[in-house]
Amino acid sequence: MTDVSVIVIVYNDADRLPTAVRSVLDQSHRDVECVIVNDASTDATAQVADSLVAANPHRVRVVHRKDNSGGCGQPRNDGIEVARGTYLMFLDSDDTLDRHACRNMVATAEQTGAELVSGCCWRVFPDKGEERAWYRGVYRDRAVYSSVRERPELLYDTLSTNKLYRRDFLDREGLRFVERLHYEDLLFSTQAYLAARKIAIIPHRVYNWMTYENAVTLSITNQRSEVRNFADRLQIFRRIDAVYARYGADDLKLRKDIKFLNHDLLLYIRGLRSRSTEYREAFVDLARDYMSSLDPRAFEEAHELQAIIGFMIMNGDIEGAVSAADYVPRKGAKPRLTAPLVEQDGRIYWSADHLDTEDGRRVLDVTDLGIHSLPLKSLNPGGSLTGIERTGATYRLTGDIVNPLGRIAADAKLTARLEIRDRSRKGRFFSVPASVTHTGGRIHWDADVRPQRDIRPLGFVDQSWGLRLRLTAGDEELIIRLFADHAMDDIALPVRPRLTRLAGDHLEAYVPENGEMSFRLVAHGRIARAFLTALRGFTSSGRGRRWWVGLLRSEKALRDVFTRRSTKMSVYNKVFVRLPIRRNTVVFESHLGKQYSDNPKYIYEELRKSGAKYTAIWSYAGSSAGYPKDAKLVRRGSWSYYLALARARYWVDNQGFPREAVKRPQTTYIQTWHGSAYKLMGVDAPETKRGTRAQRARLQEMVDRFDHFLVRTEQDAHTLVKGLGVRAELIRSGYPRNDALVNRGDATALRKKLKLTDGRKVVLYAPTFRTDDKGRPEKRLEMPFDLERFAHELGETHILLVRPHYLNTVVVPPSLSGTVRNVMDVDDVTSLLLLTDTLITDYSSIMFDYALLDRPMVFFAPDLDDYVRSRGAYFDLKEHAPGPVVAEPDELFAALRDLDRDTYAKQRRAFVERFGEYDQGTAAKQVVERFFTGNGNG
Amino acid sequence: MAESRDIFIVCNNHEELGGLQRWAHHVGRLFTERGHRVHIIGITHAEEAYDYGRDLPYGLHTLHETPPPPRKGGRIREARRVAAQRQGAAKLSALFRTARPGGIVIAAQVWAMEWVALADTAGMAVIGMSHESYAATKGSSRFPRVQRYFADVDRLCVLTTEDADAWARAGMSNADVMPNPLHVTPTAFPDLTAPVVVGLGRLSFEKGQDMLLESWAKITERARTSPSPNRPPTWRLRLYGSGPEEEALRRKADELGVTVEMPGTTSDIQGALTNASIYALPSRSEGFPMGILEAMAYGLPVVAFDSAPGVRELITHEVDGILVTPGNVTEFAEGLERLMDDPDLRAKMGEAGRQSVQRFSADVVVDRWERLFSLVYR
Repeated sequence: MTDVSVIVIVYNDADRLPTAVRSVLDQSHRDVECVIVNDASTDATAQVADSLVAANPHRVRVVHRKDNSGGCGQPRNDGIEVARGTYLMFLDSDDTLDRHACRNMVATAEQTGAELVSGCCWRVFPDKGEERAWYRGVYRDRAVYSSVRERPELLYDTLSTNKLYRRDFLDREGLRFVERLHYEDLLFSTQAYLAARKIAIIPHRVYNWMTYENAVTLSITNQRSEVRNFADRLQIFRRIDAVYARYGADDLKLRKDIKFLNHDLLLYIRGLRSRSTEYREAFVDLARDYMSSLDPRAFEEAHELQAIIGFMIMNGDIEGAVSAADYVPRKGAKPRLTAPLVEQDGRIYWSADHLDTEDGRRVLDVTDLGIHSLPLKSLNPGGSLTGIERTGATYRLTGDIVNPLGRIAADAKLTARLEIRDRSRKGRFFSVPASVTHTGGRIHWDADVRPQRDIRPLGFVDQSWGLRLRLTAGDEELIIRLFADHAMDDIALPVRPRLTRLAGDHLEAYVPENGEMSFRLVAHGRIARAFLTALRGFTSSGRGRRWWVGLLRSEKALRDVFTRRSTKMSVYNKVFVRLPIRRNTVVFESHLGKQYSDNPKYIYEELRKSGAKYTAIWSYAGSSAGYPKDAKLVRRGSWSYYLALARARYWVDNQGFPREAVKRPQTTYIQTWHGSAYKLMGVDAPETKRGTRAQRARLQEMVDRFDHFLVRTEQDAHTLVKGLGVRAELIRSGYPRNDALVNRGDATALRKKLKLTDGRKVVLYAPTFRTDDKGRPEKRLEMPFDLERFAHELGETHILLVRPHYLNTVVVPPSLSGTVRNVMDVDDVTSLLLLTDTLITDYSSIMFDYALLDRPMVFFAPDLDDYVRSRGAYFDLKEHAPGPVVAEPDELFAALRDLDRDTYAKQRRAFVERFGEYDQGTAAKQVVERFFTGNGNG
Repeated sequence: MAESRDIFIVCNNHEELGGLQRWAHHVGRLFTERGHRVHIIGITHAEEAYDYGRDLPYGLHTLHETPPPPRKGGRIREARRVAAQRQGAAKLSALFRTARPGGIVIAAQVWAMEWVALADTAGMAVIGMSHESYAATKGSSRFPRVQRYFADVDRLCVLTTEDADAWARAGMSNADVMPNPLHVTPTAFPDLTAPVVVGLGRLSFEKGQDMLLESWAKITERARTSPSPNRPPTWRLRLYGSGPEEEALRRKADELGVTVEMPGTTSDIQGALTNASIYALPSRSEGFPMGILEAMAYGLPVVAFDSAPGVRELITHEVDGILVTPGNVTEFAEGLERLMDDPDLRAKMGEAGRQSVQRFSADVVVDRWERLFSLVYR
């Protein structure tokens, strides 16, 4: 008896079959046989298989089928019939097994008694030199289940190949592959999962699923383009439903139905845009028919956008479905907003249609997506190219852009450039000016291109080009990729590649499945055509391909090296720091470049007011909008950023410049920091305390670059300074950002901008930074109290501003806009505090700043004990807080109603004395005089 | 009885007083008792040799009398290093040739594996080992070396399932689990009334005794401001061991104003553990902590930072000990206080630990080894 039989099915794959068989024979577990099933191949497969048998007569056998089965099911069943192993595995001729696959799976089967052992499959992309684990989430840790219902996620991995089956288990259950249908794996794996009395999972790589790009014949599962395919899939799903019914597994069917909406359907919808009308109609008929058998709960539990897709398909609205599919996040591409959306009764809906039913309103309500308050630069509205017209050597390109909810304001000044970008090189493009106008709810654009002059590809290495529009609206910039339909397919723009005309002479338009307008370099001239054909022949041969792929890869590697941070750091530390210091230059940065704000901003403004002659350089991450016009702006992490840092006389920031950037002795680093500490910091905090020596040394190295450190109170010296290990000179000036608070500055401008002029009291809710359980910033802040209730109970007399920490976000529905405002994008907290009558916070350092205004504060800290236990605090909030500390929304609302009887005045003064004695309203001045305008002892 | 095999345990050195060496001599003896022929091979001598006894029932060999040159320097020095290494590997090959069919090579450390990789292991099965947590390797220069030198071994054994899974995810499809066997046989047990919290281990940054002192300071402070009615005020903290941090720890205790007994190293583990009632393990990183294994065998409840899979594998939170978020000294203090205040809880957890640790008894672990030996020959 053999331990394992590996059944290798093959059809017309003589080239790769030996590699697959070799991976079986090379198993570290030796007691393995290989059964090849040749599905009536018409190439040399039969001979190759026979010679493999001849070379390994005791370990390899072959079954030659007389007629081609057209699928994978029959050949695998044939293999099962002749296999002799206690265990069975399946391998496709273009894939390979990991060397230890059999040993790991056999050992696991024996240790656990499992009838089905499943290991991790890796998708390998040999052309790209990439690979990634398939459903890693399921295969993270080894596990044993006595039923798939203990881990239903297993059902998502529907491959039959990365698994080991006990032979007697398959026989007992009568398990075989379905024949004459595609997607036989789905049904087989579902049956196996449900029938197995014990299932074991291992995280080890067992199977390499090879995926070749540009394969001439797409493998069966890749051809999503045929209706028959879809029909097969639905047929398989129906049979799976029958399996679930047999096992009484309604719960699993519901899961499968949800997954159908979330995943399977989505795959087809994305391709629909480029399909013919007949295809679409046939598709919708098939889909609707099947979807009527879905568990109604699936529509409720599917992801928000997928539920919309499902709803749209059931209502026959293909456009609506496709637009929702555009907005589903996917790897490597930002979600695209191609639906205009509508606002109705204070809610946001995906579409203006279908709102006449309650069901429609419920499904299409997308208020929670927060699109109405998303920063414009993150909006990514859909743009398209609708026409190309030629006049002589000039081509006029026209198109339009969706303007969801009119977010691109009618009165905003619009300018734009059309960019033709090299798709394989980020940041390389040619551009021409475009004109843009608001037209009927959309934005129309057109641009004149003279391709021979405006677009200069190199040739050979830059084959693929895309189109995008860089649109500036007011002081915000949007980059919009342009999409098109197949009507654009026939157009070709004449170009002259820089290397040689042999590389091609036209950019030919084409629209791939994702719909993005694309061009490829092609040859129309006779000589170039002959040359390119020869070149293609060469590069598709084995050696030529390797050579060509190698060339492209090394070019990419070179580009990667140039833009890599480590390269920049190395040039910084070896070259830039030898350049002379530029006198009177200051590099400013706030919150790692994310904002123009905080102490650095106020020092900068004071410096400008002083009239002292300094070159100021501001670092920005992302967009430079909102940064001062009279400063030089450098993008954080760019070459010019590092050059500026290396040559600056002063560094001013509130968090930290890149760790590896060594500070030169001639440079003075003024670290302003960004708030006094309530929670434990630096080595006082558990996450650093438990860290390694090296981590501590890195923190110390970073902190030791500081020459001066601003403090607002002696308390800072005992908490922040000690915790961070600051050894710099302390500047006891207070915070420049707080000068205006002490001096009761003016916030009229912001008050007007936020339209807070109706006399209602302004309540600001500003909680501290929150992370999810993996320690990442929490994307969407759950409001810990009910905004509707606030509007209802206090809306007459109060208005609520919500401001999460700058790394978190929050969504306020438009229906509450009269009473609740999201002030996330107000960078200038100082002005915000000035117009605030009452502050609600929890543990944010904003408490120290706001206390300076001597106005009421409420501490809403529902998780005080947990927070203090898990991160530790420098003082007892309940003892020192200059306002009520409450845990329940009821108490919060009571405290807010009770504010007129202000009983905390004494505590506030004590709080300021203890936690803010240096904030005297002259901090910016002190800093500027000390370092920039005084006697130069800085 | 399984078939008798020739087993070669190759480590950096077999002479030092360290966890790895104690493990090697312990399993060497256990394998011998099962009828295997064992050789323990050190690449080089230790700077300071410890006496592991005379007339050992297994062979001891050292490949290099003087330490082989380190891996830095120019071409000539590199050539010399390679030549020296080849000589060592030749000696190793000669030893391997004495093996009967079915021989097993255990490369217990990655540096030692460099020699095994050069030696002739034809016809033998090679098992690599890493005696630290995945995270500890990941954060060190050993990571790429483990990936390189252990890529082709028949099995890469690490100490816990969690670590093996991490290695498997990192691409080592030969990753497997082999815990260290329990190496003490108690003849007396603590009655859990002595008001002593004890810790045994090298006094080093990794072992985290500095954090334990901070927790102890919190306990002392709270006992002063709000004394617990159930707790005698006489509880003491006793840390056995020596090491580079000894002076710093004494200074830190003074700064914090706490009293800590530091009696130095001891060979009388039974004495140290039977005179205590709680075991504290404040380590920043761990492999498969011997200290917890011993404490459990003696029935001491444990408070430990949940700093490594090895800790989690041994202790079940709230069953045989208390696991605390690493670095959170407040929580650690609370864990100790709970046990200090509650004799019944100490007894319950101590007993649970004593039973649970039998999963790692010598017999159980050697059985696992023998199953592994047959697996790699199938």
